[in-house]
Amino acid sequence: MDRKNADAMFEDFLAGRLDRRSFVTRLLALGASATTTAALLEACSGGTTETPKPADGGGGDGDEHAKAKGKGKHKADGDGENVLPETKELSIYNWSDYIAEDVVPEFEKETGIKVTYNTYESNEEMMAKLQVGAGGYDLVVPTGYIVTVLAAQDLLFPLRKKKLTNWANLHPMFLNPSFDPDNKYSVPWLWGTTGIAYRADKVKAPPDSWAVFHDTQYKNKMTQMDDQRDVIGSWLKFRGKSLNSTDKAELDQAKADALQSKALLKAYVSAPVKGQLVSGDVWIAQLWNGDTMQAKAENEQIAYALPKEGAGLWTDSLVIPKSAPNIRNALAFMDFCMRPEIATKIADFTGYGSPNAKATPETPIAYPTDEEMKRLEIQKDLGEALQIWDQIWTEIKAG
Amino acid sequence: MSGGPSVRQRVLGWFHERPTATAWALLAPGGLFLLVFFVAPLVIMFGYSFMERGLYGGVEAGFTLEHYAAFFQPLYLTILLRTVVMAVSTTLICLALGYPVAYTIARAGRFKNALLFLVILPFWTSFLVRTFAMIFLMRDSGLINSLLVKAGLVEEGITMLYTPFAVMAGLVYGFLPFMILPIYSSLEKLDLTLLEAAEILGAPPRARFFRVVLPLSMPGVVAGSLLVFIPALGSFLSSDLLGGAKQILVGNLIQNQFTSARNWPFGSAASFVMMVLVVIAVGIYLRVRDADEAREA
Amino acid sequence: MSHRPPAWVLAIVAAVYVFLHAPLLVLVVFSFNESKYSVEWTGFTLHWYQRLLERHDIVDGLVRSVAVGLSSTALSTVFGTLMALALARHRFRGRSFVEALLYVPIVTPEIVVGISLLILYVLLGWPLGLTSITIAHVAFNISFVTVVVHARLQGMDGSLEEAAMILGADEITAFWRVTVPQLWPGILSGAMLAFTMSFDDYVITSFVSGTGSQTLPIVVYTMVRKNIEPSINAISTIVLVVTTVMLIVSDRLSRDKPLSAD
Repeated sequence: MDRKNADAMFEDFLAGRLDRRSFVTRLLALGASATTTAALLEACSGGTTETPKPADGGGGDGDEHAKAKGKGKHKADGDGENVLPETKELSIYNWSDYIAEDVVPEFEKETGIKVTYNTYESNEEMMAKLQVGAGGYDLVVPTGYIVTVLAAQDLLFPLRKKKLTNWANLHPMFLNPSFDPDNKYSVPWLWGTTGIAYRADKVKAPPDSWAVFHDTQYKNKMTQMDDQRDVIGSWLKFRGKSLNSTDKAELDQAKADALQSKALLKAYVSAPVKGQLVSGDVWIAQLWNGDTMQAKAENEQIAYALPKEGAGLWTDSLVIPKSAPNIRNALAFMDFCMRPEIATKIADFTGYGSPNAKATPETPIAYPTDEEMKRLEIQKDLGEALQIWDQIWTEIKAG
Repeated sequence: MSGGPSVRQRVLGWFHERPTATAWALLAPGGLFLLVFFVAPLVIMFGYSFMERGLYGGVEAGFTLEHYAAFFQPLYLTILLRTVVMAVSTTLICLALGYPVAYTIARAGRFKNALLFLVILPFWTSFLVRTFAMIFLMRDSGLINSLLVKAGLVEEGITMLYTPFAVMAGLVYGFLPFMILPIYSSLEKLDLTLLEAAEILGAPPRARFFRVVLPLSMPGVVAGSLLVFIPALGSFLSSDLLGGAKQILVGNLIQNQFTSARNWPFGSAASFVMMVLVVIAVGIYLRVRDADEAREA
Repeated sequence: MSHRPPAWVLAIVAAVYVFLHAPLLVLVVFSFNESKYSVEWTGFTLHWYQRLLERHDIVDGLVRSVAVGLSSTALSTVFGTLMALALARHRFRGRSFVEALLYVPIVTPEIVVGISLLILYVLLGWPLGLTSITIAHVAFNISFVTVVVHARLQGMDGSLEEAAMILGADEITAFWRVTVPQLWPGILSGAMLAFTMSFDDYVITSFVSGTGSQTLPIVVYTMVRKNIEPSINAISTIVLVVTTVMLIVSDRLSRDKPLSAD
C-alpha cells in the first residue's frame, strides 16, 4: 500500500474532509483489506468503528445517498433509525433470467420507481465490483456463503425488518441460515440442490450415488460441473465427509476420487450441459435441480436424483450493498417480492424452489423429501482453506 | 489566408528540423492515453503482486516475494509449458491457413473488399453464440458427424468436442483475422511489376514466391504471428467451453486466482511473469531486426 | 489478374471460408428454430425476432455496443496510426523500448486489465458507464492498431512524400494526399480489428461497466448460467444482414462514381 497516500487520506478523514465510506473505499482500493481497514479505524476512533459526524439531519448514509443522487428528498421514516432518502430509482444487479419477466414492470407500475436491471455471470465478478468500491447497485443476489464474505468486509446494509411487512411469509427452514445468522443482511430469494441429472432411457439404473461418476460403462457420457466447490464437494460427500471439509487428508482422498472420474468424464461443464442432455450426447450430469427441470421440458426422459451420500443445498439471497443509493426502494422491492403471488411467479419462471411458505408454484420442481433434506448440506465459506482447495482443483485440472 | 500559412509553415519547419521531437509528438496522444489508462493501473497491479492475499479477495498490506516464488513450482511450470505449446501451434496453423487467404485477397482485384469483409463478418456476432454453434457442429451426434456417417466415411461419430482438437479449432477460428489482416495489408502494397520482372527473368513460381513475395510480406507475417501468439497465451474461454475445462491453461489459472481462488496477488504475479517473458522475447526480436536494418542501410 | 493463385491455394482459401462461415450458418438457422435450446431443429418460427421487441435489454445492449465500438475504434485508430508513423518513419532513442512496450497491452490478461482499470476509476472517482467502457476499449485497442499499421508502413519508403514535397506540398498536404491513401489498407485492417474486439469484449467490459450501461456481450454472457435465448441468434442475424447490405450499397455507390479521386 502507498504509505504516504494512505497517511494523507487518513488525515483528511480525521479532519472530516473525507467521510468514512469514501475513506474506506479509497483505502480498500489502495490495497488494504477490509479487516486491516476496520482495525485501523478502530484503533483511531477509540474502539468504535462508527465515526461520529456532525448533525446533518439525516445521518451518514442518508446524507451521502442524497448527494449521490442529487434528487433525494429527506423525509423522516419515523422508525427512529437513520432517515432513508426518497428516490425514484432502483438498480438491481442479478443473475440473468433469475426473475419472472413481469415482476419488475409490475413493481414500476405500482410504485412509480424506475428500475435499472443489470446482470452478472459469477458471484466473484459482482463481489470484485463491490470490494473495490464501485457503487450504484441497490440490490444484489449472492449465493449463500458469499453473503458471509460481503458482510465480513462491511459491505452490506443491515436490513430494516420493520420495512419488510411480508417477512412472516418466509418458510422458517430458510430463515436464520448459517451464512447469515438472524438474517441480519439477507432475504432468501430462491433455493435449489446440486444433484445428478440423467437420461432415464439411456442408463441401466437410475444413479443413486456419486459413485456413478466412477462407472466405466458410462465413460465419455458423463459430465460434472465446472466449479471446484461442486466437484470436490461431491467427492467429499461420496466418502461421507462434509462438503466444507478443510482436512488435508480428506481433500487428498477427494482429489484421488476426482482424478479417477476425470478419465471417464466427457467434460467439466455447468449449465450449458442442458443442450447435450436433451440431444443425448450426455447421459449423466452433475446439475442443479432447476436446470434439470428446464431441460426436462424439452425432453421427457430427463430425470433428477439426489445421491444417497448427500448433496449440496444452496440459497441465493437478496442483499443491499452499503453503497446503495436507493436503500428505501431496495427494501420496498424486497418486500414486494415476498408477496405470495410474486414469489409464486418467480419460482414458476425460474424453475427453482421458493423460500416463501405461502407461494404456490406449479413448476414440477424436484422438492426434496424430509428424509432427503437431512442429507443435504449448505456450502460455507472456506476461509483460509480456500488456498488448499484451489491448489487441489488446479492439480485435478492439470492431471 | 495571409497569416495562416506562415504559422503552419513555421510550425512544420520547426518539426522538420527536429525529427526526434516529431516522433515524440506523434507518440504523445496515444502514449499519454496508454500511460494514464493502461500503465498506471498496471503499476497498481504490480504493487499488488508483492502484497499479502486478502482473506476475502483483494490484498492486505505487506511485502512478500512468495507469489513469484509460488509460480515457479512444477505444477504451474507444466501449465505454462502446455500453454506455450498450444499458443505456438495456434500461431502456426493460423499462419498456414491465413497466408493463402491473405495472398488470394490481395490478388482478388475488385472482390478484394468483399473477401476481406467476409473474413471479419463472423466476428460481428456474439462469441458465445458462435461457440455454441461450433459445439452443435462438433458434438458426438452433431452435424459434422451425421454427415460423415451418412457419407459412409466413418462407422460412428468421432469424438471431436471436448478434445484438444476442439480447443485448437476454437482458437484458430478466433485468431485467424489477426493473422490475415496484417499479412493482407503488407501484401497489398506489393508491387506486381516486381513479380513480372521475376517472371520475365525466368524465375519459377516457387522461387518467385520464396525470393520475392515472402520476404516482402515478412513484416505482415511477423505482426500477424505476434498478434496471434501473444493473446493465445492468455486465452481461457476456448479451453473451458470447447475443451470441457479438462485442461487448464495459464489464462484459466490467472482467471481463477481473481475469481474462485480469491488470490489476487498470485494472479498478478502470474500475469507479470507471463508479461515479462513476452516483452523480453519481443525485445530480443526487435534488437535483431533493428541490427539487420542497420546493416542493410 | 495475371497471377491467379494455384488451385491448391484456392482450395485452402475455400476451406477457410467454409470454416469461418459454417458456425454462422448454424447460428442463423437456429434463429428461426422453435426450441429454446439450439440443439435440434424442432420447427420454424419468427418468435425470437418478435421477442426482441420485448427484450429491451438486448436491443439497448446492441445500441450501446455499436456506440462504444465506433467511438473507441475512431480514437484508437487515430492514436495507433500516429504511433505507427512515429515508429516506422523516425529513428529516436528508445524506439525499440517503446515498440516492445506496445506489446504489453496485448499480453496483459483481460481480467488484470479489467480489475486494475476498475481500481483506477474508483480511485479517480470516475463514474462507471459508457465513457469508462470506451476508454478501456481504446486502451487495449491502440496496440493492435499500431502493430497492424506499422506492418504496412515497414518497407513502404518515404520517396513519394518527398516527391510531393519537392513539388511544393507541405508535410500536412503530403500526409493527407500521399501517406494516408497509401496506408489505407493498413488503417482499415487495424480499424476492423479494433471494432471487432470492442464489439465482442466481455471480460474487461464487465468490470468497467456501471449500472445501466450493459453492452450486448454482457447481456449474452450473463445468460450462460441459464440458457442463451435464440433471440441472441436473431439479433446477431440482423447485425449480419444489415452490415452486409450496408457494404453492398457503399460498394455500389463508390463504383457508380468512376471519376473518384484515384
